[in-house]
Amino acid sequence: MLDDGMTAGLDYHALNAMLNLYDEAGHIRFDADRKAAREYFLQHVNQNTVFFHSLEEKLGYLVDEGYYEAAVLEAYPAEFLREIWDTAFKQKFRFPTFLGAFKYYTSYTLKTRDGKRFLERYEDRVVMTALTLARGDQTQAMAFMHEILSGRFQPATPTFLNAGKQSRGELISCFLLRLEDNMESIGRGINSALQLSKRGGGVALMLTNVREHGAPIKGIENQSSGVIPVMKLLEDSFSYANQLGARQGAGAVYLNAHHPDIFQFLDTKRENADEKIRIKTLSLGVVIPDITFELAKKNEDMYLFSPHDVERVYGVPFSDISVTEKYAEMVDNKRIRKKKINAREFFQTLAEIQFESGYPYIMFEDTVNRANPIAGRITMSNLCSEILQVNEASTFHDDLSYEHLGTDISCNLGSLNIAKTMDGPDFGATVETSIRVLTAVSEMSAINSVPSVRRGNDESHAIGLGQMNLHGYLARERIHYGSDDGIEFTSVYFAAVAYHAIRASNLLAQEKGHSFKGFADSTYASGTFFDTYTTRDWLPESDAVKALFDGKDLPTREDWAKLRELVMKHGLYNRNLQAVPPTGSISYINNSTSSIHPIVSKIEIRKEGKIGRVYYPAPFMNNDNLEFYRDAYEIGPEAIIDTYAAATTHVDQGLSLTLFFPADASTRDINRAQIYAWKKGIKTIYYVRLRQTALEGTEVDGCVSCTL
Amino acid sequence: MKDLDHTPAVPRAINWNRVQDDKDLEVWNRLTVNFWLPEKVPLSNDVQSWATLTPQERTLTIRVLTGLTLLDTIQNTLGAPALMPDAQTPHEEAVLSNIAFMEAVHARSYSSIFSTLCSTKDVDEAFRWSEENPHLQAKSRLILQEYNATADPYKRKIASVFLESFLFYSGFYLPMYWSSRAKLTNTADLIRLIIRDEAIHGYYIGYKFQRATEQLPAEKRDELKDFAFSLMFDLYEIESHYTAELYDDLGLTEDVKAFLHYNANKALQNLGYEALFPAQACEVNPAILAALSTDGENHDFFSGSGSTYVIGKAVATEDEDWDF
Repeated sequence: MLDDGMTAGLDYHALNAMLNLYDEAGHIRFDADRKAAREYFLQHVNQNTVFFHSLEEKLGYLVDEGYYEAAVLEAYPAEFLREIWDTAFKQKFRFPTFLGAFKYYTSYTLKTRDGKRFLERYEDRVVMTALTLARGDQTQAMAFMHEILSGRFQPATPTFLNAGKQSRGELISCFLLRLEDNMESIGRGINSALQLSKRGGGVALMLTNVREHGAPIKGIENQSSGVIPVMKLLEDSFSYANQLGARQGAGAVYLNAHHPDIFQFLDTKRENADEKIRIKTLSLGVVIPDITFELAKKNEDMYLFSPHDVERVYGVPFSDISVTEKYAEMVDNKRIRKKKINAREFFQTLAEIQFESGYPYIMFEDTVNRANPIAGRITMSNLCSEILQVNEASTFHDDLSYEHLGTDISCNLGSLNIAKTMDGPDFGATVETSIRVLTAVSEMSAINSVPSVRRGNDESHAIGLGQMNLHGYLARERIHYGSDDGIEFTSVYFAAVAYHAIRASNLLAQEKGHSFKGFADSTYASGTFFDTYTTRDWLPESDAVKALFDGKDLPTREDWAKLRELVMKHGLYNRNLQAVPPTGSISYINNSTSSIHPIVSKIEIRKEGKIGRVYYPAPFMNNDNLEFYRDAYEIGPEAIIDTYAAATTHVDQGLSLTLFFPADASTRDINRAQIYAWKKGIKTIYYVRLRQTALEGTEVDGCVSCTL
Repeated sequence: MKDLDHTPAVPRAINWNRVQDDKDLEVWNRLTVNFWLPEKVPLSNDVQSWATLTPQERTLTIRVLTGLTLLDTIQNTLGAPALMPDAQTPHEEAVLSNIAFMEAVHARSYSSIFSTLCSTKDVDEAFRWSEENPHLQAKSRLILQEYNATADPYKRKIASVFLESFLFYSGFYLPMYWSSRAKLTNTADLIRLIIRDEAIHGYYIGYKFQRATEQLPAEKRDELKDFAFSLMFDLYEIESHYTAELYDDLGLTEDVKAFLHYNANKALQNLGYEALFPAQACEVNPAILAALSTDGENHDFFSGSGSTYVIGKAVATEDEDWDF
């Protein structure tokens, strides 16, 4: 136990920070953090929570004052409301860490309009989310509540933050928009970015089709300004619009590696970039086709093609053709203006910029499209590089109204806590309930301000079920992250999730009597999607992994074959089902390790605008099992890529994969990891993170996160 | 020994492939990869947070940053250049010129904070305050005395280490304090980049002091040690007053002083001396101490840029890397 004398008088921030400082015996002070969580409630939360005598009084007040949406509660009889709240409070939920509690009360819970007093506890937020999404169905409301409160399923921030509130942003996590090579589309794109930022959610835009710097406009040479000024406009739009101050507007832009502006695009993140072209807060992503790797392998030059000319020659936007397929043809075509750079130099520059800024993200275009079960092309990803869906260009009249309404992408996310899901009573039911929650978010959303997004959502009901706490779970079970057992577990687990997710979506199609638009052209409809599962088993082989799944019903080849028949007959309701997001905030609240990454540090220093710097201990860690908590920098990129590759096989969309390097690595190390990732069938790479060890003699004494 | 002393007959070019002291190369490499400019930090994200500070807190913050600007200015224009004539190797001179330049970047970056968050009037007022504040002026004068060209070169290093490793910290405390309260977190990021640099500067100059004094007779070494402790006492005295004047109203003075003790010991340790303050006087608020470490931080990219990125070592890939 902690010596009270030593911690007496320390506030909760100081107690929490003690996590990062070893005690005299060299142990991590987990007690201090638990005490910080307790003190936070005693000193701050309890004293600032509005008190109500009864549930009726509370709900009456919150509805009358316009905090809660009345329609949500009116869909249920009063006795049911009492029952669900009673059931929730009986679970005796407690935040195991200070950061979990602090993050929840700082960023999620309902507060009075002056922001000073709390109107909700955690259970209230969970129940309101469940009631909102169940839309009057009592059985479902109860099921949703149980899955969320038990920690097995956690909706993404926009859903969990906003559900049931009267003044709120959208429930959707993220949006992806195409820009085409004309002013109307760019103008519409900027407007959409503003509208979507205002309502919440990250926005990604594809710039691949915008003509390059110096390209002709109306046949006059050297007129176009290229993609950089568009990026500047977008960056300013995102900082202007935020969700009632609750969430900062955030955006990303994607560009194909073979766009002529690619180097200028990357240089915007240089340490010494000129202020006029420097991009500070907009995120960058690069779309790389296989041909670029082939050219680099041969150490040849790579040609960059003018999108304007490509569109004139092929009659479709640059993004909608496969560069790999048409490369030789385009090189030989005199009507396409082009320039060349050295392919290896391109990769090296990419790595240099990643060193300096962590950007750009990478999407491996051909890998993504080969794995896509849906007809159409995937041309971009999103702000967290896990959404991979097809889209369709829009065309506009002069007044910006739609000549042809295309489709853009939105995605509703939520993640399973792997440890809690494995501990839970019914694996299949947990996945099914989660799919139903996410589908509800899709059905309840209609983004009227951006009609192409609304159309995309209405036709596809695309959702993204994610996963988190892989490292926490493996460590608790005394299995090393990235070990053979760890990778085998990942493969078996994700195969089982895929089975139940498809099963649930098929049930939804049966209940609702229709499938997503384009189902008939998908490999689900033709049945070939299922070849992966009917030609081999995805069951545990090692004793350690068998023991983990002991007593669980895992889908066999026969189960998959039956499911194939059902899907081919009744279809699927959701065009996309899985996507593994990076899970920042929600994994702290849920007491998970982020996504399926390894931990970044035994004690993570988490820094965000709204909460400042807070310290977070890895879940299930104690002073006796530290060996299983090797961090991402110690584990190294290959084991992470191997783990992700095992999961990627079973995920229809993408997985946010961050690569971690010590600061004394070189660009070559980063390039090698990228090549390895591409070779292993990874779809996207998210950030590159670096850790610089303090120069010997300059380090802070006795600090847990400081590496020597 | 250094080549360029007293206008040698044959001016010699610096050869980084013949390094006499490996520490020079190590520190040079570290300082150059750590290069940064204030423009990379999205300070404007702090505008809303700035508005939540009381007028009193804002004045304090501006004053603290002005005080830091003065110290960085001294170190840029006088401190680091004054060490060059005493450099033991040409590479040390090169490192010192990098230190001098980064101090200019630091001094510049406070102005970036000002121009983003404050009104010109408030800033002008604070600069006037810095010229008139007796404690700030007194500590600057004490240091400047030792930077004087006729002063003892060893004492110059002592003064320089005290400035880098001790005097800055009464000011660094405040942004660390704010950031532990989720205020001005981007400003804190920028300050953390400065701390990352200053920690190396103080360590390196202290190291060079230790190397330079190794061969000195015992009497001279004792004299220097006496000088160092007496200068530390004088500076500590001034810092105590300065701290009380700044932080009394917020009730943070005791806490800041513990931080001063901690850093005074660090400064002495950089010179190879034992601690002056006992451990119990150095019990820094854990939230501040933990905030000093720049490695291992996991920031969300959407509200800040973090302080862990560096300029990478560019190495071309080879054919074997592309074996697929």
